[in-house]
Amino acid sequence: MGDYINIGRSVRKIDALSLATGADKFTDDYEIHDPLYIAILYSPVAHAEIKQIDVSAAEKVRGVVDVLYYGNVQRVLHTTAGQGYPEPSPYDALLFDRRVRFVGDRVALAAAETREAAIEAVKKIEVKYRDLEPLFDMEKAMDESAPRIHVDDEYTKIPAEYRPEQNLAAEIKIGFGDLERGFNEADFIEEQSYRMHYASHCAIEPHTSCAYFDDRGRLVIVTATQVPFHVRRIVSTVLDIPVMMIRVIKPRIGGGFGGKQEVILEPLVALVAWRNKRPAKVVMSRKEVFISSRTRHPMRVRLKTGVKRDGRISAIEMDCLMNTGAYGTHALTVLANAGGKVLPLFNKIENLKFHGRSVYTNLPVGGAYRGYGATQGYFAFNQHMDIIARRTDQDITDFFKRWHIREGETSAVFKALGEGKEGVSQVINSCKLDECIDRGAGAIGWHGKRGKRIESGRNRVKGMGMAIAMQGSGIPGIDMAAASMKMNDDGSFNLYVGATDIGTGSDTILAQIAAEVLKIPVEMIIVLSSDTDLTPFDTGAYASSTTYISGGAVEKCAEDIKNQLLDTASVMLKAEKDSLKLDAGKVIDKKTGKKVPYDKIAYHTLYIQDQFQIQAQASCTASESPPPFIAQFAEVDVDRSTGKAEVVKFVSAVDCGQPVNPVLAEGQVEGAVVNGLSYALCEDYIFNSKGRMVNPRFWDYKIYTAADIPEIITIVVNSFEKSGPFGVKSVGEIGINGPAPAVANAIFDAVGVRMYETPMTPEKVWKRMKEEGVN
Amino acid sequence: MKEIKWYFPDNLKEVSALFKKDGVIPHGGGTGILKASMSSVKGLIDLALLPLGFFRVNNGTIEIGAAQTYAEVIENMRKIDPEHILVKALSVSASTPLRNRITVGGSIALFPPWSDLMGPLIALEADISLYGSREGDFNITSYVNDRHLARGNLITGIKINRDRWTGYYYRETRTHFDYPAFTVTILLKKAGKVIEDTRIVIVGCTGRFRRLLELEEYIKGRDAGEVEPGGISEKIKIDFTGKKSLSPGYIRHLVKVRIERGLATVLGN
Amino acid sequence: MEGIFKINGKEIKVSFKSDAVLLSLLRENGCTEVKEGCREGECGSCVVLLDGRLVNSCQVFAASAAGKEITTVRGIGNIHSPHPIQSAFADSGAVQCGFCTPGMVLAAYCLLKKNPDPREDEIIEAIDGNLCRCTGYVKIIEAVKIAAKRMRENG
Repeated sequence: MGDYINIGRSVRKIDALSLATGADKFTDDYEIHDPLYIAILYSPVAHAEIKQIDVSAAEKVRGVVDVLYYGNVQRVLHTTAGQGYPEPSPYDALLFDRRVRFVGDRVALAAAETREAAIEAVKKIEVKYRDLEPLFDMEKAMDESAPRIHVDDEYTKIPAEYRPEQNLAAEIKIGFGDLERGFNEADFIEEQSYRMHYASHCAIEPHTSCAYFDDRGRLVIVTATQVPFHVRRIVSTVLDIPVMMIRVIKPRIGGGFGGKQEVILEPLVALVAWRNKRPAKVVMSRKEVFISSRTRHPMRVRLKTGVKRDGRISAIEMDCLMNTGAYGTHALTVLANAGGKVLPLFNKIENLKFHGRSVYTNLPVGGAYRGYGATQGYFAFNQHMDIIARRTDQDITDFFKRWHIREGETSAVFKALGEGKEGVSQVINSCKLDECIDRGAGAIGWHGKRGKRIESGRNRVKGMGMAIAMQGSGIPGIDMAAASMKMNDDGSFNLYVGATDIGTGSDTILAQIAAEVLKIPVEMIIVLSSDTDLTPFDTGAYASSTTYISGGAVEKCAEDIKNQLLDTASVMLKAEKDSLKLDAGKVIDKKTGKKVPYDKIAYHTLYIQDQFQIQAQASCTASESPPPFIAQFAEVDVDRSTGKAEVVKFVSAVDCGQPVNPVLAEGQVEGAVVNGLSYALCEDYIFNSKGRMVNPRFWDYKIYTAADIPEIITIVVNSFEKSGPFGVKSVGEIGINGPAPAVANAIFDAVGVRMYETPMTPEKVWKRMKEEGVN
Repeated sequence: MKEIKWYFPDNLKEVSALFKKDGVIPHGGGTGILKASMSSVKGLIDLALLPLGFFRVNNGTIEIGAAQTYAEVIENMRKIDPEHILVKALSVSASTPLRNRITVGGSIALFPPWSDLMGPLIALEADISLYGSREGDFNITSYVNDRHLARGNLITGIKINRDRWTGYYYRETRTHFDYPAFTVTILLKKAGKVIEDTRIVIVGCTGRFRRLLELEEYIKGRDAGEVEPGGISEKIKIDFTGKKSLSPGYIRHLVKVRIERGLATVLGN
Repeated sequence: MEGIFKINGKEIKVSFKSDAVLLSLLRENGCTEVKEGCREGECGSCVVLLDGRLVNSCQVFAASAAGKEITTVRGIGNIHSPHPIQSAFADSGAVQCGFCTPGMVLAAYCLLKKNPDPREDEIIEAIDGNLCRCTGYVKIIEAVKIAAKRMRENG
């Protein structure tokens, strides 16, 4: 670690002021000349075959230009999961199909001169459905008598367990040691199931895409996406348009959280534009986002552990059943993460088995959602460990400190469980989890309040709970990021990255990394990101990869620039390259003190001698995925009469390596915490008996406002990850893993009931208290 | 496309004439109209130019114009009595931008099940001033029970007595910005230690609202110290149909808890 | 219908549909800083000042806003000359994706206009109709405090 001038400094996010003044543009803010507006018809039934579809009345609506359905579009199986190629999700989706598989599945679209005409046309499409038996209970999905949801030629691009004839979208089995022996050696067995529910990402900007043609007839797609390069590839594949004819531009994005890692709307706008040679535009309503975009996969996690009297775990069996909904987007990888991001944390368990299955149902489609399976796994893990710690009379903080993975250690799970293929074995280089636990416990007053059941009012009692978690930093061996830079006359630099800033601040922290290498203020870096024509490639904003992997590309690229600066300066200063260093926008000869500023170097190379432009590019992949660590603490106040558990204080202490921008890092954790609390206690998809979500609007699907948050404290515990640029690890996802289990553990601490499923609404807590007779 | 005809009358007589047209309804803030289905609306009478934005404090009464927004009512009432039940109820209703738009008149006319205004108005025994075929002041309970009164009449304002009550207001919500599953309004007045009068209203139950007269009668005239709120709600029977996210049994339980707590609060026990 | 709208101090004559809401009218006339997040009065991304009062522009009929003063976030400052609230949001990490920010800034603006030294609960009440999914609100509340302090100190 050195004296940084940019790293570790909370510089302003470079787009903050343009956003705060309303100047910067989101997808829907682009002025597209005379577009066709698209409206989509969604299935009102959960499972049916379309017997007949009549679009003639729709086509006659004034202003309607095109009506599309399975009968007049190409049939190309694909996955909407915006993952690297080959996607580890099954190819089970079509643009439009003859069969509908959930309420919200798309049936047809209308494109018209006005939005109103498109909506009217969609209403006039007459569809006769032949109802099929629906499947809503994931536990019954693999029963022989269960209706089969995918019956055609669905397949996977990768060698993975995929048996649509059994509604099985993915299956994973790994293990080592001797499970039976481990259970036999145990003093007691602890076995429980934990369930997490559907949730919407609720990015405040709904999914939006538009497409138009440039002056040379190429298709330009401006879209709210986390994965512009995957969008280009998938649109090209599905519509059979050459990649060279497509340009994807990512403008400002109004939040993603995984929801915009799906390629849902882009093929539709591209298709309408391409067929009609007209611009096209589609904006989802909030209701459409709820019913038809993607969700957090519901999961049932059964944990069985063999435990010695001192708390040592002699065997662990983790069995996950995941509901992927009607399509298998991220069905394999979210499932893998439920084990892969959780089990290595307790790396001293010698006998281990993980069995996971993702199954199809006729319910909304799961997808990537911040935390990506780890959230579901940690809800189970942290409660389970709380139970064990209590049964063995230990404070859970001591228990965790005794058993968690440490620097220099590894876990066989790293190698066994990858994302779509075998994982990568790795040794932990940096882990300050002990410090996270200690500082978090101190900040919340853990030792004075846990187990005390402090009365806080009439029939109100306080409880304390905590949870730990790790995540990853990118997908090793799969993710790739590239960056390029060029120097301008005044010594400023353009930085081009494929990395996709969806509001996280990645443009800013990547500029900080480049500026640090070049020892200049961050303002001297002009960033352009995520334009498939102008910027290099990047897999996109997911898997907590950007800071670590895209940051690695930027560091490498800037190092190349630095080398060229030194070469030129050594000519200009007539000095040995070895005696030169960069300092505050100048190259200085350490021996003589002579210096040359960057603008002089730029002029020299551009205009004076041996002319060339100082420029470079670099790509970066990762051979490991160093986990960030977090300890999270909740203080809740439970009303014994009503069951309402109110979180009064929430503390997170996170080890994300060297934070590039501490305020932005804190912001990632705070946002994840509030999303996590809102999900744990309140947010819910409510379905009727026909599988229709009955609350697809913000006044019925409640997410937290500023008035609902507890006191929130976030502690960034610095560590140094030697494999990352300037010691960084990720921070974007990890913070969402702890809120639900920390709150559940706190509720137990307060009133002695275990909440095995989310959301932990007042009514559910009240019912659990009644069941246990503790009101 | 459906055309809506807009009218901007500047006197009440004009309104009367407009009311005779089919599908023409008054427009205050518009929030209620936009939430409901617009399919039957043919015309909207904007009330902005009418003199309905008043807030008058008389000797014994307060008159609030139908066009006053929740935010305006809160501001005006706060100056008179910061603890007034209307201040308590309306300041936690909806959200800041919606409180700037929702009007008293619109709220009464539509009486959505989540209304934060109706419980307090029923408890205050407010009068609704109407203009039109049945001009005059009508007790709020008879107004909401008699849908004929609403037809062909414009709500011009409300009148409430300036009595000093101790008030309690509770709304059952999932987050702060939510539409309550039910609300509890309790007003209580003591003369020395004796409970002189009390009003208890639940909104959101079967039949939209219930005034708990049996409980009021039981409490009235007693010494405040001898009323034990714990278990008192067993005396009441009230039905709920349940909500998407709450079972009827749990709502019943919650209402009882909140009534008991509310009574404890207003009794100062 | 036709009407004159005073948007950020400038009068424009606009024709609009009789059932149009103010949000659509504003966006169709170049005010893309007014965001649409739900169209049901819940998210607060579309709030504007209507005669000085914060309202959800998706819950206001355009017809009823004609002739009134409308202020959007571009009306209180711009990138060259930002309002202190806009600068405070940028300085304190209160802007992540930025989609809710125009609404949040206007909600704070309304608060500070009448209450230059608000308590935390007053700040929270002022933004109770604005959803943010990125920040967890922590830094937004901080930004309003910083803005208030700077505005008090600089008159």
